[in-house]
Amino acid sequence: MTPIVWTYISYLGISIALTIWVAATLHRNGRIFLVDAFGGNEQLADSVNHLLVVGFYLVNVGYVSLAMRTAYAPENLQGVLEVLSVKVGVVLLILGAMHFLNIAIFSKMRKQALLHRIPPPVPPQGHLAGV
Amino acid sequence: MKRLYVLYDGECTLCARCRRWLEGQPKFVEMQFIPLQRAGLFERFPGLEKLNLRKELTLVTDEGAIYRGASAWIMCLYALRDFREWSQRLASPALRPLARSVCEAVSANRIRLGRWMLRRRPDEVRQMTETGFLCQSDECRI
Repeated sequence: MTPIVWTYISYLGISIALTIWVAATLHRNGRIFLVDAFGGNEQLADSVNHLLVVGFYLVNVGYVSLAMRTAYAPENLQGVLEVLSVKVGVVLLILGAMHFLNIAIFSKMRKQALLHRIPPPVPPQGHLAGV
Repeated sequence: MKRLYVLYDGECTLCARCRRWLEGQPKFVEMQFIPLQRAGLFERFPGLEKLNLRKELTLVTDEGAIYRGASAWIMCLYALRDFREWSQRLASPALRPLARSVCEAVSANRIRLGRWMLRRRPDEVRQMTETGFLCQSDECRI
């Protein structure tokens, strides 16, 4: 096997492992936000959680697969590591951005739900007669 | 609380414009707008005849609670999906006095402000009159 094939195999292995790890973290820790956002409806929360994770996988694995090919063919271990560092670095940054986007979605849903439930911020100044 | 009744001055173009803006916003609580010149207002809301409705904005909930002035404005924001957070902010001790003085100043000068803001838009005023948002100053029948 040539160094470029080693580069591709390590790139795919590392990137997909990282994607799975981030997705699992999101799935595990995002659930509580969603349960709260949907007013304790656990079934709905689990369903939305699952759908979000599927979207997360599709975007990330899609990017990893698209970005695999490199124009520069490394000839030794040093070259392999250099190419890998750039590619895995970009994947990590995208994973990070996606992760924060997901957290933003979770907290926005939760905030909307909380806003829906808060009582009026000011007391009334009077009441109608006979009501 | 399911519904808010907003009693606004139907002789003021600024108020009619605010009504139109409020009507276009997505809401948590339904809002119904009633010009305070409407006949039969006091039969529908007994007790309101004791208040000077022209002085400041008045808001009545379907449960009979009455809000006036700055509190009424804050409750209007509370009813809106995109502004509920703002209603909390304005109701906080830090911003409440500011909200109150702005509302008082705007209410006291609403006719003049409306005239100034809409002086180049006679078509908008006519349209608001025709749709029943606004009454003509000489005869008010909405």
